[in-house]
Amino acid sequence: MPWLRRLLNTFRPGRVQRDIDREISFHLAERADQLRSEGIGPEEANRRARLQFGNPVVQRERTWDVDIARAVDATMRNTRYAFRTLTRTPGFTVTVVLTLALGIGANTAVFSAIDTVLLRPLPFPDGDRLVELTQVREGSGETRIAPVRLQDWNRLNVTFDGIAGHYVDDIVDTRGELPERFRRAFVTRGFFDVLKVTPAIGRGFVASEHTVAQPIANIISDRRWRRLGADPLIVGRAVKMQYASIITIGVMPADFQFPASDVDMWSADDADAPWAQSRALTWLTGIGRLRQGVTLAQAETDLNRVQTYLASQYPDTDRDVRVRVTPLKDTVVGDSRASLWLLFGSVSVLLLIACTNIAALLLSRAANREQEISVRYSLGGSRRAVVAQLLTEAAVLATSGALVGFLLAVIASRAFRSLAPELPRVNEITVDGRILLYTIASTVIVALLCGLVPALRGARGVRPLRSSAHTSLSQRHSIQWLLVGVQVALSVTLLAGAGLLLRSVEALSRVDFGFDSSHVLTLHVSGTYGWETTDMHVQRINRVIDEVGALPGVESVAVTSTLPGVRDEQQLEFTLAEGRSDSAPRTFAETRVVSPAYFQTLRIPLLTGELCRRPTDAGGKTGVITETLVNRRFADLYLPDREVIGLHLSGGLDGLVKNGHLFGNPPPSRIVGIVGDARETGADRAPAPTVYTCFSAPTPAPWHLVRTNGDPLAMAETVRRKIHELEPQRSVYDVAPLEGRMGDAYAQNRVRTWLLTLFALTALALVCAGVYGTLSYAVGLRRREVALRLALGALRRSVVHQLTTTSIRIVGTASAIGLVLALVFTQSLSTMLYGVTPTDPATLGGVMLLVVAVALIAAFIPAARATFVQPMRALREE
Amino acid sequence: MSTSRNDILQGTLTLLVLKTLASNKRMHGYAITTHVQRVSADLLRVEEGSLYPALHRMEQQGWLRSEWGLTEKNREARFYSLTGLGRKQLALEEESWARFTEGVGRVLRYV
Repeated sequence: MPWLRRLLNTFRPGRVQRDIDREISFHLAERADQLRSEGIGPEEANRRARLQFGNPVVQRERTWDVDIARAVDATMRNTRYAFRTLTRTPGFTVTVVLTLALGIGANTAVFSAIDTVLLRPLPFPDGDRLVELTQVREGSGETRIAPVRLQDWNRLNVTFDGIAGHYVDDIVDTRGELPERFRRAFVTRGFFDVLKVTPAIGRGFVASEHTVAQPIANIISDRRWRRLGADPLIVGRAVKMQYASIITIGVMPADFQFPASDVDMWSADDADAPWAQSRALTWLTGIGRLRQGVTLAQAETDLNRVQTYLASQYPDTDRDVRVRVTPLKDTVVGDSRASLWLLFGSVSVLLLIACTNIAALLLSRAANREQEISVRYSLGGSRRAVVAQLLTEAAVLATSGALVGFLLAVIASRAFRSLAPELPRVNEITVDGRILLYTIASTVIVALLCGLVPALRGARGVRPLRSSAHTSLSQRHSIQWLLVGVQVALSVTLLAGAGLLLRSVEALSRVDFGFDSSHVLTLHVSGTYGWETTDMHVQRINRVIDEVGALPGVESVAVTSTLPGVRDEQQLEFTLAEGRSDSAPRTFAETRVVSPAYFQTLRIPLLTGELCRRPTDAGGKTGVITETLVNRRFADLYLPDREVIGLHLSGGLDGLVKNGHLFGNPPPSRIVGIVGDARETGADRAPAPTVYTCFSAPTPAPWHLVRTNGDPLAMAETVRRKIHELEPQRSVYDVAPLEGRMGDAYAQNRVRTWLLTLFALTALALVCAGVYGTLSYAVGLRRREVALRLALGALRRSVVHQLTTTSIRIVGTASAIGLVLALVFTQSLSTMLYGVTPTDPATLGGVMLLVVAVALIAAFIPAARATFVQPMRALREE
Repeated sequence: MSTSRNDILQGTLTLLVLKTLASNKRMHGYAITTHVQRVSADLLRVEEGSLYPALHRMEQQGWLRSEWGLTEKNREARFYSLTGLGRKQLALEEESWARFTEGVGRVLRYV
């Protein structure tokens, strides 16, 4: 393998050279010996031997060329040379390398997130065949599925390898000093088979464990197993927990985090339990594994065919039910897709700006090296060699930048977990071979983008040694201005996007929520379905509300099904017992199930009527809902010309009832008052028509809202201790101020806004440097001309004006083009904007003004400086 | 360099070196020059400068192998010998040389 040996030789040049030298000197010595033996004097013999051999240097080089891989050797020589020239200008080199490091690093980091979150299949075997199944029913927000219906789907379909369901709940372990709550998923038969995952220790569930007769079998998470002491013999052990004895039969692998990353236990559900036989009680989320080659549409058609059949069998419960099939990955990834692509797009544009900037710098550098390049040509250097040399320089810069950038990306990808903890799959993000490959590919592209134009340009100018370039306006110049134009246009685009997002954040911060979120502490008290009756839930929750509410420093306490000010929609349909005209629109409304003190706690004003009371205070029974409030929007939209107070609403409790909590349809409840509109579903959503149902146990563990006099966190410990005193068997968790939670709900929004702003400002800084550098260079070339004109009496002002004309024209044109690009770019942002349109003239105009102003300042400085030269000195220089 | 001696045609150097090494087990570069010169009765003369690049190239091709050793005068020299691949190459080159001389001969004989 000649090439291999050559390649090896290339990396041990010393040894190869030495061998050639030894071989040649042996030859010369032998020849001299022979000549001496013919009677020639020693000195003359040596001379003749050398003469006959020819120029030893040339011979040695020819032999050397045979021994080594020439292309590699040339590259190495070019690289060494590039290092030498680059270290001679450390300022330039460090700037360029750092710029590229940040550009490539940020790009790689964002790509690593995209790769993990969006591109890779879920971490299950053939994860791309996994789907989520939901049921759709007009007029109901309920997407979960009744266990028997899910079984029917599994039995009757022809497009799935398997269908299973899960349901996540809280469980409390009371064995420790404090009750410890954790998340547990009830799963149906075949759950782990659908995912194709098996426990790391122990076994999966068998059919008999999905029955009431057997004690509940559990598989725990690796995290919980370690917390319990990582005992390998844990399998088969029964423990008493809450009200029942349970058996641990397995431990999942550490990377198994489904259906949620905080689930610590998987339990076999009881398929034969009485509440699991109803087709009306829905609580399961379905998952399925498509058969090989089956498309989403085929699967959906198949299941809807099954559902049509079921509708004919069970018209009461299954008539309106349709099935929706979505890729499981989509439901896991959620709406972070758009944010990630936005960030990737902007970080790539930024890298493009950086490359353009560096290309302009390298162009000026090549211009300064015209002399050197001319010398190379005069000495017989080929154009190819010169281009290779200049490209190598760009490659060295790009590679150094990429090395630092890759390290930055490794650090950044770790930081994702703390910066964006709510990003799905964030724990899976790692920098691995794929990412390294991506970095290498982007390095090649960057090197070509930065280096190709300067190299071709630089190598073109074969000029006489005494260059007269300084008096002509070279064409290199116009290319530099073109590069500046590209930077300006791209940065206008980025700034426009950042500007719009900033305006949205600002608009959101000024929104009047309609309720007061300050001084409110939120928390959960653990509780689960199944063990207690509804009345028991209501009574214990009311007791906590009353006792905590009586603490000094606490103003009031309420519970709610849904946290206010956070995107969580519960749209349900209501009917009016008193009837409405046929032409009236169907009554969809947001549903909030709250305890009576909710309005006082959140300071939502009562407009007419009175606030609702607990059923017992209203003369009813504990677990029966009697009174309801609506907001103004509901009254205005659905009951414009009627006396609202005293009407009766029914429905709406669909989901609640079907969660296995309240059985049977509650009687219509009476509207007792109208309250002010509040942005219940988040700052960016206008208040929707809302029905507040007054009931203290919307779920066994509802959100508790505690209004405090002072700092809510300062009261946290007092509240926790009080609840522990009241409910020693229950755990208090998720304790945090409401304001913080509402902020967290917009964390992704904020993170992407700040990142995009950071990128845009960096782009602006690069543009600044680009305009400054290019104009400095251009002005430098015209020093003599400037000096001459000043000497002839020209005004400084008019000289400055003349020098900056080009820049003004370029920047103006480029930012106009950038504006057009921006209009395209901001369209893709439209779903992320609030209170501002993608074409908002103020923002776009402001951005253009900012870019033009900054660019003009950057242009003015070198131009003004040029007019302060001493004319005679500049003229004498040449 | 006298005109009575023929400089070796481009390409034939390989053939001569292969043939030389086929009849002598192990030779250094200088010995190859003297051998060619002597055997050809001074008709052929290896241009010394071309020899080493040629030897190295042939070694890269795998036709020759080389090792360092001592001459009888106790000097360090690089000795070349023929490999199996080199032997095959020699046969090829001999054949193509024969075809070449025959072709040239036919042209010259044509009246």
